[in-house]
Amino acid sequence: MMPTASGPTTRGIRSPRRGWFAAALVPALALVSAACGAAAPQTQSGGGASAGGGKLVVWDWHSGDATTKEYYAKAKSDFEAKHPGVQVEFVAQPYDQYYTLLGTAIQAGKGPDISMFNGGAQMRDRVSSLLPLDDKVGDLKDRLVGWDAFRKDSATYAVPVTLQGFPFYYNKAVYKKAGLDPETPPKTLTELQTTCAAIKKSGNACFNLGNKEGLGIEFFLSGFGPGVFSPAQYDAWLAGKRDWKSPEVKQIFDLWKKTNDEGWYNKGVNSTAMFMDQFTMFSGGKGGNVIGLISDTAHWKSFDEFLGPDLGVYKPPVSNPANVTSTFLPAEGGIGYGVMKWTKDPALAVDLVKSLASTDAEKSFFEKAGAIAADKTVDTKSVDVKAAGEIVSWLPDSKPLLHTALSAKTLDLMHRLSQQLISGDVTVDQVLTQLAASDK
Amino acid sequence: MVQPATARRSTTAVRRRHLGEHQIAALVLVTPALLIIVGLRIVPLVLGAQYSLTGDGDRNGLFVGLANYRTLLDDPVFRTAVRNVGLLFLALPVAVAVPGLLATFLFLKVPGHRFYRSVYFFPVVLSPVIIGAIFNILLSFDGPLNQLLGKAGLAPVDWLGNSHVAILSVIGVHIWATFGMALVIFMAGFSTLDQSLLDAARCDGATLPQTVWHVVIPELSRTIQFVFVTTMIGMLTGMFGLVYVMTAGGPGGATYLPEFYIWVTQGQMNSPALASAASMVLFVLMLLVGLAQIRLIKRATKEV
Repeated sequence: MMPTASGPTTRGIRSPRRGWFAAALVPALALVSAACGAAAPQTQSGGGASAGGGKLVVWDWHSGDATTKEYYAKAKSDFEAKHPGVQVEFVAQPYDQYYTLLGTAIQAGKGPDISMFNGGAQMRDRVSSLLPLDDKVGDLKDRLVGWDAFRKDSATYAVPVTLQGFPFYYNKAVYKKAGLDPETPPKTLTELQTTCAAIKKSGNACFNLGNKEGLGIEFFLSGFGPGVFSPAQYDAWLAGKRDWKSPEVKQIFDLWKKTNDEGWYNKGVNSTAMFMDQFTMFSGGKGGNVIGLISDTAHWKSFDEFLGPDLGVYKPPVSNPANVTSTFLPAEGGIGYGVMKWTKDPALAVDLVKSLASTDAEKSFFEKAGAIAADKTVDTKSVDVKAAGEIVSWLPDSKPLLHTALSAKTLDLMHRLSQQLISGDVTVDQVLTQLAASDK
Repeated sequence: MVQPATARRSTTAVRRRHLGEHQIAALVLVTPALLIIVGLRIVPLVLGAQYSLTGDGDRNGLFVGLANYRTLLDDPVFRTAVRNVGLLFLALPVAVAVPGLLATFLFLKVPGHRFYRSVYFFPVVLSPVIIGAIFNILLSFDGPLNQLLGKAGLAPVDWLGNSHVAILSVIGVHIWATFGMALVIFMAGFSTLDQSLLDAARCDGATLPQTVWHVVIPELSRTIQFVFVTTMIGMLTGMFGLVYVMTAGGPGGATYLPEFYIWVTQGQMNSPALASAASMVLFVLMLLVGLAQIRLIKRATKEV
């Protein structure tokens, strides 16, 4: 019974081959055990809430910024005045890892009580972990705009705080150098082509573009869409009836390829990061135009800091006169806050979201961080940057962005295909066939 | 009759107690390590394998058989990632030869060998994120390398934006960043080299290549084997940071590697079960590659 002195020792020195076989057996056994019906961990199991006990945890990617410090302080004091004794903790996550971290938290069924979301695909893909808010935020409906970006199947899952839109910003100094009228930005694609030829001749890039992560195509599709699609086609796209083989969609992807081949952009766009390399180039005067944002980054305020009075802005050019006579600023809900399903006191969490969307806090977000607020009642006249005033005046005619209507999976595919189009590895027709198959 | 039997029994008893103590001591010493290996390695591995057979999204937690593996097979991005593993395999001899050659030079005490020894090791202590950021600047389209090419009258290359070049750029940077560790292992191997064998070879009039081929390589066979396996594992699992910073998997998915694919699928695409399936494929791949290498290199480095 008792092992001999030499027994375990000799058995312990196994041949390497047997050791490897043993290691190889582990996954095989695991497969068998799973095949026998072993249960997988369920997501959204709840029970991991960090709330209760008088504390709410909020995840975002902004509370660490100096420019939004006042916004968070105002939201916090507004909430704490209504709920004394309840602690609020803002956890700033790095933006480029935000959805990965949140995804992991969701898989674990643990995480914050409230999360910040971009409108569109990223939030819609995670609604199974969010509370529907329609019956709780009725009093906000009229004051705030941009709700569509935070809805799925007619239920609202987050409260908009800022708006997101894609205006065309331009540098008047670059226009002047190219012999163009700096006060008359292009209104049509033909005018834009003439403008680009002149800017290129003057030694600058016509547009600054960064497509390292494939984000350039999103800005291109949503930026040029209003000038290509007829109003009916635009609405159909947003409603999910997308015809990828239509001449208009083909026109946009053809234009993407053609503008690159014609040398509109800075060189090496597939290896240039959009954030912040592309926008740094524009701020540094190394480009005539850029499709920028109106939400929390790469917007009028950040460009104004460098370009000052040279900063101009215009709406998407009319690219398809057969379909479109005038265009609009594509804009919708930018960032918003959703309440996670596992929070222990949903009413309390919704109250904090309301404080985060309060007019006083939103006004500070607009003035200090430059994000166009989702709150209609925020007075924007205190800011004397001309571009900001123009953007605000275009908002009532806006329609949501084209790319945010797509799923994260289709967007990811579009990113990769847009890079392959620029590299010349695929044709526009192949791209459209693949996207149509993905967007079913 | 009785006495010897008692003596025998007591001797056995002493030995038994003695052995028991040894065993307990061994168990006590081994248990913490075993617990860590089982708890942090084996259990997650089994859970991952189990999870890879379940669905994502609406089918979360449901047994779906090999559906995730079929999805992987149909995914061109995953196929590119696996193809790139093949490319890593081809780059492996370079990744081993570079530190091997440099270590030989250092062993032969070329002038300034002390200085080079620390210079070669330096990149190992840098984070891949820092290395990636530095090379992003060096390799950017209007960066110093292309300016140098321009001065030589050559056309610029989009080192990180051209789908055929980008993966080679990333692999090149990875080799640059990690060869220092293999160099140290080679140096350690050289220090165990039997000097009398080298002297004997010299007396017999062997040339340097003959000495390297017939004495150094067989003597260092275990070291070479070790460096081959660890370098391959490093390439398969340690290039995430560089890919993430330098190319983000692009352009067009050309620089995807299995571990980057796993990260994107889990986090960005919100499909942890599919990511688990991909990680099981990576695990099996590494197992097979490791086994094949050990067998091949054992044969190749054996003195004939």
